[in-house]
Amino acid sequence: MDGNFEIIAQVLFWGIYSGCIYILLATGLNLIFGVMKIVNFAHGEFLMLGTYITFFLFIMSGFNPYVLLCASIPLLVVIGIIVERLCFRPILGTGKLNEIFVSIGLIYIIQNLVARIWTDEWKTIQSPYRDITLDLGVIYVPLDYLIIMAVTAILLIGLYLFLHKTWIGTAIRATSQDRAGAMLMGINVERMDMITFGIGAALAGAAGTLWAVSGQVFNPYMGSIPAIKAFAIIILGGLGSIPGAIIGGLAVGLVENGAAYTLGGAWKDAVSFILLIIVLIIRPTGLFGEDEE
Amino acid sequence: MNLSFIREKKISLPLITIIIALVLPHILGSNLYFLTVLNLMLIFIIYASAWNFLTFSGQGSLGHAAFFGMGGYFSSLIAIKAGVPLIIAIIAGAGLTSVIGVLIGMTCVRLREWFLAMVTFGFAVIIQTIVVISQLNPITGGWDGYAVPKLIPLSIPGSQMIEYYCILIIAIGSILLFQFLLKSKTGLALAAIRENEMEAKASGINPVPFKLFAFGISSFITAIAGALEVAHFGYISPEIFGTDISFWPIIYSITGGLGTLAGPVVGTVVISLLWEGLNALGLTYERFIVIGVLLILTIIFLPKGLVSLPDAIKNLKKDGK
Repeated sequence: MDGNFEIIAQVLFWGIYSGCIYILLATGLNLIFGVMKIVNFAHGEFLMLGTYITFFLFIMSGFNPYVLLCASIPLLVVIGIIVERLCFRPILGTGKLNEIFVSIGLIYIIQNLVARIWTDEWKTIQSPYRDITLDLGVIYVPLDYLIIMAVTAILLIGLYLFLHKTWIGTAIRATSQDRAGAMLMGINVERMDMITFGIGAALAGAAGTLWAVSGQVFNPYMGSIPAIKAFAIIILGGLGSIPGAIIGGLAVGLVENGAAYTLGGAWKDAVSFILLIIVLIIRPTGLFGEDEE
Repeated sequence: MNLSFIREKKISLPLITIIIALVLPHILGSNLYFLTVLNLMLIFIIYASAWNFLTFSGQGSLGHAAFFGMGGYFSSLIAIKAGVPLIIAIIAGAGLTSVIGVLIGMTCVRLREWFLAMVTFGFAVIIQTIVVISQLNPITGGWDGYAVPKLIPLSIPGSQMIEYYCILIIAIGSILLFQFLLKSKTGLALAAIRENEMEAKASGINPVPFKLFAFGISSFITAIAGALEVAHFGYISPEIFGTDISFWPIIYSITGGLGTLAGPVVGTVVISLLWEGLNALGLTYERFIVIGVLLILTIIFLPKGLVSLPDAIKNLKKDGK
């Protein structure tokens, strides 16, 4: 019985850890959806760019990879703004299928630019704390995973403070609630689109840095599956709802690791889609979704 | 170039295309590389047209590789295990796939665009997982796949050429089928649902059976294309469910012209020629970038695709004068 409990605790811990990556991705997606009402299927490419920026700077400078968050976040803000300006603004309001199709083009461009620069071999970096594990009574946990959870929490608190305590954050929330109304109040909604897209991309980039630091391997094509799962999460948790993204992210992380443990690793990717499809059969607008937009 | 003689008689453009398709392999001679490119092009014309047919009902699928792959697996398994001729196995496999296609469609008909895209993408991942799980390995061969009988056995002289004409007939047949369906009442109902589902409902059209019908037909033809592809290569593996295979028909249809019959044909020909050309230049990664840029540019500047290019140029000239 004792051994069982340890395994369950281990699976739970892994679930929370992989949930952190999903939470950061899904929060970004949800923020962008709330303001612009678009869905960027290429969101996972920002995650991948985050890992490669971390990788590149780590090789070049040898800094502690956690410090490199300070580089990957601002860089991804800039990349996000460029992508929004060039690819998404021209098609805003021209039909929802177009957003999906533009994302597909973006996926091809970003993946292969990275593959062109760094080749498409699997890469990995080593965290300075990789040998340190802590004894939490029931289970031994790597220090890196605890730091990753803490960084995720700090980023989310930072985002909350930004959205609620600053003028720009308030303007973003206003745009998300009522675009026309915000425009009438003198808010430059197109600028808000750009800032929001930048922040969303930066959260994905931060997730990428954390992905790399945790010692997981990455290649230019690694972003698609996490992004699609993040998208499943925001459907589960409700489009535009950030608390929903956090709960959904944890749920998918836990279910996935539970399934990998009970059914075998091959089911890890499929199980979150099965969950999504079951939810959508019961409620076609998502768990907490509104009936019509 | 003066193309006005074509525009005067609308019918002649498809006819000219078919004549070119008929004589092309003879002009190129028996060069195996060109024949392979042409065969794959035809297979993807069938596939892209089938994907495009689903968008006529307003449903954009991101996981058509599920049907493409199922067509390949079902047809080859039926041919190998039951020992029936490949052509019957292909039709049976496509029938089986379209049953599953309708079942998948049943989960999709009530969903909005992004949700539908997600769910179809998810089904491709789920079906790939089912194929590779260890319990099914004795049948599917897991990640390694298995050898598949060729459409035309290599022992027959000129097998590639015969294969080309077989696939050409199937391609023309499926495009004619789509043409017939779109001109029929069903096609009108699909257009009404695509443009405004609420209004379609108000005028007495129940969208559900029509959307399911579109799913059934689209998955049937997609499965035939998938079966033809694996029969062409003589080999199948779970990579057939990959994201790339789902995305190609989308890229072809959009660059050619979404929602037109000629679009997928034009798009497939132009993009695959571009693809092969860039490949010949050794631009492994750059060709993806070129195609991605082309896709985004088409969506932004030429939303009706390459088939609308002559009209767009004409309008531009008119505005200039």
